[in-house]
Amino acid sequence: MNKTVLAIGLGITVPLIVILALGFGKDPNRIDSPLVGREAPPFELTPVGGGSPIALASLKGKPVVLNFWATWCVPCQTEHGMLQQAAKSMGNHIQFVGVVYDDEDARIQDFLRRHGSGYPALVDKGGKAAIAYGVYGVPETFFIDPRGKIVAKYEGPLSAEILTGYVQQLMEAK
Amino acid sequence: MISTLGKALILASVVAATAGAFGGIAAGRSGSASARRWTWRLAYLFAFLMLAANALMEYALIAKDFSISYAAQVGSRGVPGWVAAVSLWSSLDGSILFWGAILGLFIALVAWFNRDNPAPSLPYAIGTMMAVGVFFAFLIAGPADPFKPVFPAPPDGPGPNPLLQNHLLMVIHPPMLYAGYVGMVAPFGLAVGGLLAGSLGRDLLKPLRTWLLVTWGFLTVGIVLGGWWAYEVLGWGGYWAWDPVENASLLPWLTATAALHSLLLVERRGILKGWTLTLILATFLLTILGTFMTRSGVFNSVHSFSQSDIGPTFLTFLAMALLFSIGLLSARIGVMKADADLHGGSSRESAFLVNNLLLVTLTLTVLLGTVFPLVVEAVRGTRISVGEPYFNRMAVPLGVALTFLMGIGPALPWGTAGLRELGRAAISGIPGALVFAAVGLVNGSRNAWLLVALAAGGFAVQVTLQQALAPAFARWRAGGENPFKALASQLSQGSRRMGSYVIHLGVLIILVAVAASSTLRQSSEKTLRQGESGTVGPYQFTFLGTSAVDEVNRRVEMVRFALSKDGVVFAEANPKMNHYFAMREPVGTPEVYSLPSGDIYLSVMSVDQESGVVGLRAFWNPMVSWIWGGAGIAVLGAMLALWPSRRRSAALAAEAKSAAAPAIAAGEAAP
Repeated sequence: MNKTVLAIGLGITVPLIVILALGFGKDPNRIDSPLVGREAPPFELTPVGGGSPIALASLKGKPVVLNFWATWCVPCQTEHGMLQQAAKSMGNHIQFVGVVYDDEDARIQDFLRRHGSGYPALVDKGGKAAIAYGVYGVPETFFIDPRGKIVAKYEGPLSAEILTGYVQQLMEAK
Repeated sequence: MISTLGKALILASVVAATAGAFGGIAAGRSGSASARRWTWRLAYLFAFLMLAANALMEYALIAKDFSISYAAQVGSRGVPGWVAAVSLWSSLDGSILFWGAILGLFIALVAWFNRDNPAPSLPYAIGTMMAVGVFFAFLIAGPADPFKPVFPAPPDGPGPNPLLQNHLLMVIHPPMLYAGYVGMVAPFGLAVGGLLAGSLGRDLLKPLRTWLLVTWGFLTVGIVLGGWWAYEVLGWGGYWAWDPVENASLLPWLTATAALHSLLLVERRGILKGWTLTLILATFLLTILGTFMTRSGVFNSVHSFSQSDIGPTFLTFLAMALLFSIGLLSARIGVMKADADLHGGSSRESAFLVNNLLLVTLTLTVLLGTVFPLVVEAVRGTRISVGEPYFNRMAVPLGVALTFLMGIGPALPWGTAGLRELGRAAISGIPGALVFAAVGLVNGSRNAWLLVALAAGGFAVQVTLQQALAPAFARWRAGGENPFKALASQLSQGSRRMGSYVIHLGVLIILVAVAASSTLRQSSEKTLRQGESGTVGPYQFTFLGTSAVDEVNRRVEMVRFALSKDGVVFAEANPKMNHYFAMREPVGTPEVYSLPSGDIYLSVMSVDQESGVVGLRAFWNPMVSWIWGGAGIAVLGAMLALWPSRRRSAALAAEAKSAAAPAIAAGEAAP
């Protein structure tokens, strides 16, 4: 048994393994939104197909799930059905709001006719709301508590499990 | 159906690999010929099962069968057939499956080419490779199962990452790199076999060198193609950024390069046996570390597939392989006695030693810089990044020293060099050094490091050419053969020596081109309206207009530029902006217009339809295409070095004939 080889080998590799093991569970690509923990930027947007504008301020008192999406975005299509279901089952406690980003009225209406529509879809003309929320791409979802504070943000398509997790966080924040 | 069949194939491969691993060890210990036969059969079976599982997945991908989890994850009705086919290696689970196929292929090939090799270490070697196979097959069967059934099958999927759909290089870069990574299992297995059997004879050295060189070739191509892909696709104007994953591929390349050199000393002088085997084991372990870095989501990189749960499994395997290797080395390294002493301070042997020292120093430096952010995060909880300045500061002097060594080493004689020979070696490449440095000065280089690098490169290029052509030259002068015939007969007698000089030439071209392109590059960032122009390096570009084309999976917006020099238009360049329907942001495709002196590189940052203004980054990248050419030459050299020469193959055949029968019959088992 060559003790020198053993010592040098272990001296290099054991710390390396420990360091690599400590790196688990941290997502290196994650950049936290500076908006989390702050007042949600106000907006007032017209629903698709016309009607009276809806303002964020008018929704205070109820937690809000604010989902930015578009018809041309495939990940948005994958989460659409699940969000409709969730809005149906949680609608009494939580207000779901969709904001459609960079899209056309006719396309949105056609999309909603085919895939169902269970909550307001607001049209973000010129992307002002998206800019205010620092939307980086669609879909992105913000969780806003009854006092209008952003509790969390999720990028990418939601699954039912992920949504439930965030909704729980939202209810606890009350 | 496909799901069940795929799972069955993978489970069978777990069984085959496990049986083969035990069979190999048993055959090594007992010397039993039937155990050996079964081990070989299991190796072929393992390869067959892995290839069949991959073919099955290809079928699911091309037929867009979204009831298979991996096909649902990366497939899309909207992608062309070739994208569907290559998406096998576009994401985590599929790439591991593909990995399994290459592993199987390598094991089967090593087994096949050494089916009559009598070395007592070979059954151990195949057994070791099959043990690695057990891990990968297990990974595919469990944590990274690509054959999970999906019910109900979704009507459509998101398709592979658009960055990977953007360029044809994506078809070849990953397979080459995988072959370079996975193939290291072959030298690893052979080295472990040598340690277990306690011998490092000629019949083991030959396959060891062959497979190390083959895999080195793949790794070289894989790394360079990766740089080329990044250059052609990512649009930031560079080809290397010391990204953790790039580093991960460089690390085993460095140790493999060191091992190729020290292996020569083992062959010629019978020295440095333990050290060489250590380098080979380290090379394999670094490929596993590199795989872990790409696949675990611990590192931040273009390559990382985040949210992966195979990380812990991989780390466990890495830890086991490390501990096994260290234990084996410390237990058996004493068996590898040197046949001679290393004497003389100024021989070619010493140059090889310095080469090894420099390469290992570079390896440790890069490794440290790569894991340092993790160390800081573990200790202080904050994330930092180690950027290019650290790596450049450390790597540039080492790289220049290695370049110089590529000149001085081959000029030195074997054995002991006298003062006169040493002096001759030291001045032999001076003309080349002066020419290269002068060319640099004339072309406006005032960077001291670049001039030193150019001089070292020129020195080495001259010595390399002299050494490579010396035998043919002597033959031509002495025998009056015409120069081409002289070269041909030199090649037929020993292409190995020639091959290694061709590799050196390729690597030198790469080193010089990297030095020039990284120090002399120019860039400018501009916003242009139609008809406006900008300048980069010696060239001008004028914005002509935009046009858009709709394709199945994306909308391509083309931005047209005219390239000119001194007012004379000589080409049009069309960088693009691609809007993938399945993607959140647009992806640019830069346009690279290559000239021998350098590339004009245009990358569109933004296109504003309303105002008609484009945002553009333009680069002048000197000598970049020489890097790709140099890699081609290096690979050609590797193939030349692997080509069996008439004399050598005849000698080996005779040797094998006389040695084979008694060795197998005696079944000399070591430990």
